[in-house]
Amino acid sequence: MAVRVLGVGAAAPELRLHAADVGAAWGRGGRGDVAVCAPDEDTLTLSWLAATRALRAAGVEASDVDVLFWGTSRPPFAEGPSFAFLAASLSLSASIGGSLSAGSAHSGIEAFVGAADAVRAGSARIALVVASDAVRPGPGTGFEARCGAGAAALVLATDEPEAAPATIGATIGARVTRTRPFLDRYRGDGEVDNRDLYDARLFREEIFLPVVNEVAEALAAFDVRAWSLPDPDGRLGAVVARKAGAAETPSATVYAAIGDAGAAAPLLGGIAAMDTAGLVAIVATGGGRTTGLLVDVAAPVPGAATTLQSISGGATASYAEALRARGQLLPVGETIPMGVPPESAMFVRGADEMLGLLGGRCVDCGTISTPPSIHPHCINCGGPKLEPVALSRGGRVHTFVVNQTMPAPFVAPLPIAVLDMDDGSRLMLQAIGDGTDIEIGTRVELVLRKYAHERGVPVYGFKARAKKDDES
Amino acid sequence: MSWNRVAVVGAGLIKMGELFEQSYEQMAAGAFDAAVASVDKGFEPSQVEAAFVATQRGTLWGQEGIGGNTIPTAIGLTGIPCTRVENACPSGSDAFRVGAMAVASGVHDVVLVIGVEKMRDKSSEEGLLSRAAAGHPIFTRGETAPVLFAPFATRHMHEFGTTREMLASVAVKNHYNGARDPYAHFQNEVTVDDVLKSAPVCHPLHLLDCCPQTDGAAATLLVNAERAREFTDKPVYVAGFGVATDHPYLHEKDSFTEIKVTRLASQRAYAMAGVGPSDIDCAEVHDCFTITEILDIEDLGFFDKGDGGRASLEGETSLEGRIPVNTSGGLLAKGHPIGATGVAQITECWWQLRGEAGDRQVDIRNGYVLQHNAGGRGSGVSVVNILTNRA
Repeated sequence: MAVRVLGVGAAAPELRLHAADVGAAWGRGGRGDVAVCAPDEDTLTLSWLAATRALRAAGVEASDVDVLFWGTSRPPFAEGPSFAFLAASLSLSASIGGSLSAGSAHSGIEAFVGAADAVRAGSARIALVVASDAVRPGPGTGFEARCGAGAAALVLATDEPEAAPATIGATIGARVTRTRPFLDRYRGDGEVDNRDLYDARLFREEIFLPVVNEVAEALAAFDVRAWSLPDPDGRLGAVVARKAGAAETPSATVYAAIGDAGAAAPLLGGIAAMDTAGLVAIVATGGGRTTGLLVDVAAPVPGAATTLQSISGGATASYAEALRARGQLLPVGETIPMGVPPESAMFVRGADEMLGLLGGRCVDCGTISTPPSIHPHCINCGGPKLEPVALSRGGRVHTFVVNQTMPAPFVAPLPIAVLDMDDGSRLMLQAIGDGTDIEIGTRVELVLRKYAHERGVPVYGFKARAKKDDES
Repeated sequence: MSWNRVAVVGAGLIKMGELFEQSYEQMAAGAFDAAVASVDKGFEPSQVEAAFVATQRGTLWGQEGIGGNTIPTAIGLTGIPCTRVENACPSGSDAFRVGAMAVASGVHDVVLVIGVEKMRDKSSEEGLLSRAAAGHPIFTRGETAPVLFAPFATRHMHEFGTTREMLASVAVKNHYNGARDPYAHFQNEVTVDDVLKSAPVCHPLHLLDCCPQTDGAAATLLVNAERAREFTDKPVYVAGFGVATDHPYLHEKDSFTEIKVTRLASQRAYAMAGVGPSDIDCAEVHDCFTITEILDIEDLGFFDKGDGGRASLEGETSLEGRIPVNTSGGLLAKGHPIGATGVAQITECWWQLRGEAGDRQVDIRNGYVLQHNAGGRGSGVSVVNILTNRA
């Protein structure tokens, strides 16, 4: 049974850090930019955005997804409900299958392979693959000026006519993999920051190039049109490409936009190449494993053409801002604790309605009260019968403020907006950015973000983001 | 015909400010002493039969466990009945209403209503700003106090063309009045330019659009109207009052150009007092932010909806204006020690009705003065009291 790619999506975080600014702080040089998560972004929020885009491109409803395979070097909870949070925030079925692969830059392709195998084996009709990465590099390490962040997502399906129209584009083909017990980028047990372990020459000559070249050469036996190659420093990918005779390497374009996005990088390069017919080779390495596989693109895959647009742009952050965003620059003293701590029963009662953004619609008058758990009665007519509904993810700004006086851990300016949602409901949520891009009437969409990191627990919810003129 | 079953025979307050040197109890004692001293024909503290105390933030701000029993000991009356009333920013005005009902019920003839608030024993970060982390983890995250009112300013400006200069004119007027009130936290005048150029706090509000954090206390003595003449020949009567509630979260508001609870509470108070907005000689209203006063004077019926900004800019609420508002300096200049605020406003109304407001005295033609607070999460509660010197 063939496995088809129905649609793809990509995401990159808000901030861009000049490598030269990092170098200047440590008395070194540096070139290019890397993508850095804003304080309210992490691998979960990036995954949500890429997956949402992929589902939209594929024209697949979240409730129709049978399995979720998520690969990320750094799940938001070291131990905890990372998979369940992503599934809930995407409104996937409660009976969703699949798995979370983690712990190395190889985890993204592991998710891809796992999902393809599940579909091929007939245990799932529609699979969602997400690869994401946002490591925290150790300050002062060479790794700091190279590591980026991002996410890629693919919707896979069987080639049964009811699952995928025959005109849709790409099928997953041959695969080659090698395992060797060597370290690459590294984070020990209990450590928070990533670092390089080996001497750069030792890594290049004895670890990276031998195995990656071996896998690439095996794929080069086919008529490969475009290559997504691992590129941990912006140079090694080109070395492999030369040896394999690769002419087109979208992975290099991805690196130039966001740096080394680790587990997400091979799939980002791969989906970027799926807008043109021909064979695409995707090679990933990390954690002692190297895997290559081929995707045969017969016609452009929905969403592929906007991959690079989805990860371009971003706001320039100073080195100090990047350190603060990564949690490596902290204010002295205690910050203001949340009134409702994450261990509160409120988060148990409210888990679904906060992550899934639910409201209660009055059976009598139709008014939506949000969230349901604090509204046993309708806010309009006082009626007692409310049915849960998923709220619109689009709306317009009714009114707003920009809070410029905030105690730590908040950072001003913080825009907060009252929103008229498309379904007639009202919400008040934080808005992304500094408030200069919103005014009354501004069209917004809701995106998942991290609202707090309290007592070691991330707290997620939706925020408003102004839609640009060219966005529908 | 006004209700007039309860008379106010004494009222007083302490100088508002950052009273680092005074305890909660010392502030309460100061306000009580001032109220006792204000009674024309003399008043013995032991005549107090029961007390109602308004303190809004006691459990959050290092005064844990302040209940009804703190005040009697602080004022030397240990043993009397005393009940704490907490109803957000209108706590003081609601304690006054509850005290009036206790007298009107016939249970007590002489009641003390006292408001006390210690705002500055904790830092700003741990005090008002800590609201940013309180409440619902998503829907109120980042909601410091200005966030509760600034969205109304944004929308009012959008719909009615209200300008920052119009907002600023409220601060200019109230600082002018405060500079003539010896009890006000701020004793200085400011200009429109000062307000416009003050530091941004929460767009579109700047620092001088916001009231300060103030320690303070105020007290009033309420008696059965039939016994008022035992204490004074110039009694002031409770003509009427009203309370209203609304949804607690901002996203549930019907409108961002009115504070609905103010409109509802005032309608109830007007009906009880048998008067209308045009009968009010002057008013003490809730001006925690400049926009709030503009909304108040519309929602209380003094001006048409949308006209409050123009009226403020053109001086219609000044001491010489058509309807003088916040002659005491208001929350913006006198300060906002939350539980004490409403009681302090009552004190100003009492002085105005008795012709004792000094440089701030306005012309009392009809004999009715209105006092108003609104607050709570998302302006979820408002209290309006109307006082009169007409028996």
